[in-house]
Order: sequence, then structure tokens, then C-alpha cells
Amino acid sequence: MGKQVRMFLKAALMISLGVVCLTGVASAKEVMYLSLADYTGPIAGLNVPGDMGLEDFIKDVNAKGGVDGVTIKFIGIDTRYDVARAVSAYKRYRRTPRLLMVNSISTGIGKAVAPLIEKDKRLQMVPGDGEFQAHLGRSFIWGPAYQDAFAAMMDWVMADWKKKGKSGAPVVGYLSWDNPYGREPLRGGKEYAEKIGIKLLPPEFFPPGTLKHDVYLTRLANAGANYILAGGVDPTPTNIIRDGYNLGLTKTIQFMTDYWGPTALGIGVHAEALEGTVIISFFQRGEDARNNPVVTDLWKRYRGSMDKFNEVYGMGMSWGMTYLAGLKIALKAAGYEKLEADDMYKAYQKLTGLNKYDIQGPCAYSPTSRLGSKLVKIYRVKAGKIVPITGWREAPNAVALHTF
Amino acid sequence: MRPCGVFDKSYALDIAIIRTWQHWTILILSLLFLYLFPLFGSYYLISFINLLSISAMVVLGLQIVSGLCGQISFGQAAFMAVGAYTSSILTIHYGLSFWLALPLSGIVAGCVGIIGGAPSLRIKGMYLAMATIAIHFVVIWLILHTEITGSFKGLYPQPPSIGGFEFDTDERMYYIIMSVLIIMTYAARNLMRSKVGRAFVAIRDNDLAAEVMGVNLYYYKLLAFFISCFYAGVAGSLWAHLITVVNVEQFTLLHALEYVGMLIIGGMGSIPGVFFGVLFIRVLNELVMFASPALAKALPWLGSSPAASLGLLAFGLAMALFLIFEPRGLAHRWEIFKASYRLYPFAH
Repeated sequence: MGKQVRMFLKAALMISLGVVCLTGVASAKEVMYLSLADYTGPIAGLNVPGDMGLEDFIKDVNAKGGVDGVTIKFIGIDTRYDVARAVSAYKRYRRTPRLLMVNSISTGIGKAVAPLIEKDKRLQMVPGDGEFQAHLGRSFIWGPAYQDAFAAMMDWVMADWKKKGKSGAPVVGYLSWDNPYGREPLRGGKEYAEKIGIKLLPPEFFPPGTLKHDVYLTRLANAGANYILAGGVDPTPTNIIRDGYNLGLTKTIQFMTDYWGPTALGIGVHAEALEGTVIISFFQRGEDARNNPVVTDLWKRYRGSMDKFNEVYGMGMSWGMTYLAGLKIALKAAGYEKLEADDMYKAYQKLTGLNKYDIQGPCAYSPTSRLGSKLVKIYRVKAGKIVPITGWREAPNAVALHTF
Repeated sequence: MRPCGVFDKSYALDIAIIRTWQHWTILILSLLFLYLFPLFGSYYLISFINLLSISAMVVLGLQIVSGLCGQISFGQAAFMAVGAYTSSILTIHYGLSFWLALPLSGIVAGCVGIIGGAPSLRIKGMYLAMATIAIHFVVIWLILHTEITGSFKGLYPQPPSIGGFEFDTDERMYYIIMSVLIIMTYAARNLMRSKVGRAFVAIRDNDLAAEVMGVNLYYYKLLAFFISCFYAGVAGSLWAHLITVVNVEQFTLLHALEYVGMLIIGGMGSIPGVFFGVLFIRVLNELVMFASPALAKALPWLGSSPAASLGLLAFGLAMALFLIFEPRGLAHRWEIFKASYRLYPFAH
């Protein structure tokens, strides 16, 4: 037994020394970026490529000497879509000096971390929870709020309905995850749909991880849906539409998805089923992203071949661009020695109009706005490719229609 | 732990948990250390111990129903949710004090647990496990579709307070959580040695034989579920008032699986095993969290996301290794250590 203990202690010592030697000494001037991301759970399909883009962007900035000699340290935590783990991880880092940003990648996590962020006078980024636009605080949304995008989709539905020469009101079904994310688009989105004369069917919700959606789809189809908006983070929307295709519903019903709908990789798996699917997005998708030299240049430099390219990578880069612009302003205002997260919070409110190389629309952060941008673009799957069918267009303000 | 040569000379000594003056000294010093810890411990360690303690309460409950009574339960996360929501509802909507809401949360969770445990009267083993999974989904569905629970938006309970003094930091909450954990551990330890505890063990070892001996299976199985869920409910209440936000995403089936994993790694049927299991899994998670940025920096080709996601791999690997090499858990190792200590200087 004594031998075993000694061996264990030796192994522990060697591992500790190895880690210390490998990591080396921390950079003299460094600021932190904490990503509370799900790398292994239901939204990993979004988080992994997103953080890859951000991490490569940061590497690139650091390789060029950082901002006035200040480098950025990226810390990625796998929350596994677990709120408790995310809160614990935030607490692990909350007293780290110069932790200037927390990216809470999940609506549930964003809601749970928000009170701590307010208390600590830091700032966080959250996916699309419109509540943070309704009650202005230290949580900044990546793009337009979910309900704004939902409203923009309803505008498109109305236009498409008229274009097809149909009379009466289009009937729209909505199905998504039974959690705060899945329900958020309807908080304001429902009011908007009713306002413009769309008949919205009672929504269908199912637990994240559900693999078959036949029951929900059949119910919506039987209720007379002309359009179905499928929520969830890919592969969920792909699976929903695959089920719709197998039921023969894609012939009569137009399927649509929100921001987290099929990416080019998902389409590679179920190209036939997804043909014709309409996707709304606040960041460039498919062919747009593949043709954006800023995005592809970084990908090629750090990831090599474009074979495995995922357009969410560009969204990650745009987080980095925002952070970089904010850091420049904050450093100028406070200097490195006195730099605090509160300076970054003030800086973010000055980013109105920041250009992100068309990866997404101009930044809309301001003292009265927490929207990463106001613009969305609508795409369609055509011949196995995601191609734009509209230009950038402003999403309606559906947040204002709901009482939070 | 009794050193060699210490004998029980009276009945009182035989039933005592603390037997020697050395035990008393260690206990008092440990309690002093625990209660003085926030004065010198780092914020991170304190918040980590809070998380450990709440998990330990949940797993203590699971130990009673699964480890002692042999009734497999995957519903512990849902029962924790019941406690968290009960406490939040009672304090937010009914203005009840946290100090009253805390035990009530345990009682409500216990009552729900009796419903959840009812299938154990007819089924056992894998079938009971499936039934408790079903209970998990029913509880979560009810929370999501009830207005008073805040539905998908959740609830925002306030930190506890006494006469204007708010327990609004991890350091302050530490005292409440630690005190509750000590009381609950003591209760669980004593329960094991009582008539009820022996009945639980008899049911676990052979329910037919237990029934023949006069153990009322229905009563004791439901009692095991009640006590187990009471523990989970109290833990849920503390969790809710610690992080001051409650939503269903905090209580998933994965959490329930993790609690069962802690029990297996720690050792079924042992109170120290609960702490070993919780400590092992939570420390493993923290180590991965701590090491992943360093690993990503040291091995740039790996990238941050794969490095950070090693936690799941580590959990799976630990579970598999324990099931293969030490199915009786860390508690068994602890027993071997104690036995060898007692025999010292002779070889075990």
C-alpha cells in the first residue's frame, strides 16, 4: 500500500510539474475572456465552431502584439448545457482581475449568471434573450433578439404568401425546445404575428434531445399549418425537417428555422430533406460565409482545408471583433493598470455602427440598445447549398410589443 | 477509527459514534476549522465547498434509498427541483421566511417522493429505475406548465436573512449550508444504526426474507423514499437561495445520473462513501476546468473546446474504471485503510 501511495504522489508531482512547465509564465499584460459554452451537450454544434472562430481571432490579435501590448487570454469552459456548472464556473473566475467579458452561451445560463454579473459590475454576452433588451443592464445580445428575428420571419411569410397569390391569412406553426430559449421568440413574436394578421397555431414544445418529432409535426399539419418554424440548435432543426420530409409534409408546408438552423455541414447529411428550407440569420451563412475573404482567410490559416468549414465560425469571429473594439476604447479610457470590467461595459455602449466585415450587420450596442445588430438576412437551401434570398434587412422591434 | 487496543467496555461505548478522546479532539478541531474557514479561505474554495455540501446532501438522500434500502432512483434531481421551487414559491409568493421554507421544502419533496416511490411496491431493479426516470419528466413537465413556478422563466428567490442581516454572499451562505450538512450527516449516520436503518438493509439484502421476518416492506420502502427526497428537497432549497435563480434547466436527468455516479464511485451503503464520491467527481470537474486552459495553451493544436470538454471523458472514464476495478467504491478503500490502521504494526 505504501508503494502505491508513493507512486501516486510521484505521478501527481510529475503531472503538476509538467503542466507548470508546459504553460510557462503568464504574459505580463493580459485581459481575460471567459466563454461559458456547451462543448459536449445539445448546443455543442453551435458552441464548438463559434468558439473556434473566436479563439483563432484572438490568436491572430495576440500574434500581432495584442492591443498596445495587452494580449487576450481566452478561457473556454464546457458547461454541458448545465446551468449549475456554468454558475460554478463563473464563480471560479469571477474575482479574476481584468476578466472583461463572459459569454454565456445558452439562454438559461445567461439568465442565471445575469444577477451575478450585475452584482460584480461586469458584462456578459447572451444569445438572443429579448428580456435583456427590455430591461437594460449588463447583458448584451449577439444580434437582434429572438423575438425580433421571429417577427422578421413573419414578415417574410406574409410576403411569400402574397407572392404565391394566396388569399386569407397564412397559418404558421412553431415548435421548439421546451426551455427558456424555445419559448423566448414568442414573447413579442406572438404579438407581432397577430398584429400583421398571421394565424399562429398553439406552439409545440419538446425536451432538448428528442430524436423524433412526428407527433408534433402531425398535430401542426392537421391544424392546417402552411408554414412551420422549427427551433432548437442544429441538429434539432435538421431532424425536425427530416421527419417532416419523411411524413411528406415538406411538399405542402414551407419549413423555416431560426438562427440555429442547419449549417452547411448538416445539409451534407440530409440535403434532400432540407431542400427549400428557409433560414433566418443575423450572421452570414452558407455561400455568403464561404465567400467572405476575412472569414475564409482566418479559417485557412488556422484550420487548413475548407472541407470542414462551418459558418458559425464567422459568428465567433464577430464576437472577437466586438471584444477587440471594446478593449481598445476601454484601454484608452482607463489604461491597463486601472482597467476594470466596468470600463468594458461603458466601452460596449460606444460600439454603435462597428463594422464587422459583413459577417453580421453593423453593431447596434448603445446606452439604449443591447442588440448586437438590428439586421437579419434570409437564406434558402437550394441544391444542397445555403444561398441568400434577401439582403440585410432590419428586424422589427417585437421586444417592445411584450410586457416583460 | 479506533486504534489497536481500544475495546468497548460498556453498552454506551459500544453504541457511541465518538469513542475516544482523540476522536473528540479531532471532531472539535474539524468543526472549528470548518466554521473558521471563511475567515481565511479563498472565495473560490468557499463557493466550491458550498457546491460540494449541497451535492453531498442530495447524495446522502440517495444513499439512504439506494445504498441502504436498495431502491434504485434516478429522480433525485427532480426531487431537488421540488425543494428548490417549493422554497422559492413559499418565500416569493407567500412571504414565508426562508427558515420555515427550508424544512417545508424537504417535507413537500418527501411527499412527492412517496408518490415517486409508490411503484417500488410493485417493481424493482431496472423497472423501478425506469419508473423514477418517468417521475423526473413528470415533475419537470409540471414545473414548466404551472404558472406559480414561473414556468420556463423560473423564479428569483432572495437570499436568507435574520433581522436585517442578509446571507447574500457565498461566505455567509457557507455557515447555513455547512450547519445543515452536519445535522443531516449526523441524522443519516444515526439512521443507519437504528431499527429503521436495519430494516432498510434487510430489504436491500433480501426483501422476501425481510418480509418473512416481519419488516413491513411498503412502509419502509416509502419511508426510504420520503427521507431520501427530504434530503434532496432541503438541498434544493439551499441551492435556490444560494444562486438566487431557479429554472428547470438546473435539474436535468444528467444531474440525476451524476448523483448516481457519485454514489457508485463513493461506495453504496456508506456515509463516508457519499463524501468520497461527491469530492471525487466535483474535484475531477474542477481539475478539468482548471487544467483545460493550461492544456489548450500547452497544446495549441488541440484547441480550447476539445481541451475543455475533457471533463465528460474524465467522468466516463472514472465511472468505468471504478466499476471494473473497485465496484465497492472509495469507501471500501477507506475501510481497508482503517483495518490496516487498527492492526498496525501488524500487516493487514
